Amino acid sequence: MTAALEARHLAAGYGGRPVISEIDLTLNPAEVLCLIGHNGAGKSTLLKAMFGLIAPEAGEVRIDGQTVTGHAPREIAEMGVAMVPEGRGVFASLSVTEIFALGMHATNVPKEARAERVEWVLGILPVIREFMDRPAATLSGGQQQMVSIGRALLSRPKILLLDEPSIGLAPKLFQDLLAPIRALQQRDGLSILLVEQNVREALKISDRAVVMKSGRMIWEGQPEELGDNDRLMELY
Amino acid sequence: MLAIQLAITGLQTGALYALTAVGFSLIFGSTRIFHFAHGATFVIAAYLFYWVYGTGWGLVPGVLAATLGAVLFGLVLDRLVYVPIQRHEGSFFTVFVASFGVGIAVQNVIGMIFGRGFTSVSTPLSRSAEIIPGVYVSPLAWIAMLCTALLLGALHFFLRRTHTGTALRALADDPELVRTFGLNPRRIAATAFVVGSALVVPAAIITSATTGLNPTIGHHVMLISLAATIVGGIGSISGTMLAGLLLGLAESLALLVVDSQWTEAVTFAILFAFIIIRPSGLLGRIAAH
Repeated sequence: MTAALEARHLAAGYGGRPVISEIDLTLNPAEVLCLIGHNGAGKSTLLKAMFGLIAPEAGEVRIDGQTVTGHAPREIAEMGVAMVPEGRGVFASLSVTEIFALGMHATNVPKEARAERVEWVLGILPVIREFMDRPAATLSGGQQQMVSIGRALLSRPKILLLDEPSIGLAPKLFQDLLAPIRALQQRDGLSILLVEQNVREALKISDRAVVMKSGRMIWEGQPEELGDNDRLMELY
Repeated sequence: MLAIQLAITGLQTGALYALTAVGFSLIFGSTRIFHFAHGATFVIAAYLFYWVYGTGWGLVPGVLAATLGAVLFGLVLDRLVYVPIQRHEGSFFTVFVASFGVGIAVQNVIGMIFGRGFTSVSTPLSRSAEIIPGVYVSPLAWIAMLCTALLLGALHFFLRRTHTGTALRALADDPELVRTFGLNPRRIAATAFVVGSALVVPAAIITSATTGLNPTIGHHVMLISLAATIVGGIGSISGTMLAGLLLGLAESLALLVVDSQWTEAVTFAILFAFIIIRPSGLLGRIAAH
């Protein structure tokens, strides 16, 4: 089986300072893979390197077996990858409608399909309909996160990279946010690479987990195995 | 009558200030590049018009040459100066110094080609007519106000109703997120330079046919643009437009109480007052630092 997304011996950093190295990661089709680690472990850097936001210093990134190392985010997005960045992930001065329109324009969603695509996303995250015309700056953290995820889904990606979606959200709201994404993964075969600090909640929806420390992968396995590993669970 | 005359002159000047300042504000607001050479864009457009129109080619070729020169200058400067500096993670100050240097170079080259003295273009539209007893207005004044209203209306439509305009506003908000969306920030920034530089052209042409030109006029244009951007509120196109009008009116009406050599000081008095009392400007969200 060809991996949906994989990193081979990947190394990346900022301004010549290495942050991650020797990363060998495989995201299988229709799988939820959870990346766990403390702040500074290199989780977000890994996601950015895989999405083309930072250029890898070594190694390779592949999508469906095709090498995309050094490709621009636009090209990677065109291959069916969408990323929900850490933080608010929305443009403060734009309305939700404008953010959605810009997202679809950026990923070349055909004009005639755009209205239907928005309705599809509103079917998954119906609460967004209530604030479509409001500037994103006026939305709560949870609403902004929903818009950010909704925007990423508009391109109907095969692979979704989620960077700490729980930041600033109450646990209940986080569960509400993850439930439709999990349903989408099970129904449409979406592959999800989830970076999360809220380990217990994230593991509930994950098929596999990877633990990172100081820019390297130190453990990989099933979520229940991690649950059995007292030392790791204490740490994370 | 003098107050009415000065108010009309002030509105004309303010309209032209608004155009140049909005051009600068659009570039600065969306790219965070302190494009000091915006004044040089004005000088290039004005002298190209002066040269093409003055050698008998006519109005339309003159306007086209000025527009092409301004847009190409903005694009080339972005591509050959700003992009390389930013690629090497050059600071805001490095960009400013580079831009300032280019502005000085342009001023000197224009001075060598056209001379350093004052010059102006005479057109049939430059002659003033008496609209009410004691108040004289040239057709160019109406053209300046109409042109500003039309162009700023078109800019508003562009920013609010087109994907490229929305992308420009997005770039002003968060350049990193623009990349995450799958957009190319360099291409969007280039659009900001095209539109921002083109907005200078009507102001440059009308100035060349009214108050006249010299190669150093770019500094005044740049200072006014900067003052209007801060007074209007950094990142606010509407605020910058209002501030441009306000500064033009204030400069002109100040002649009722002070000598003409003090008009520029009026601009800076208003600027300092805003920095101290209302640093976020008329309609801005970010305080000027």
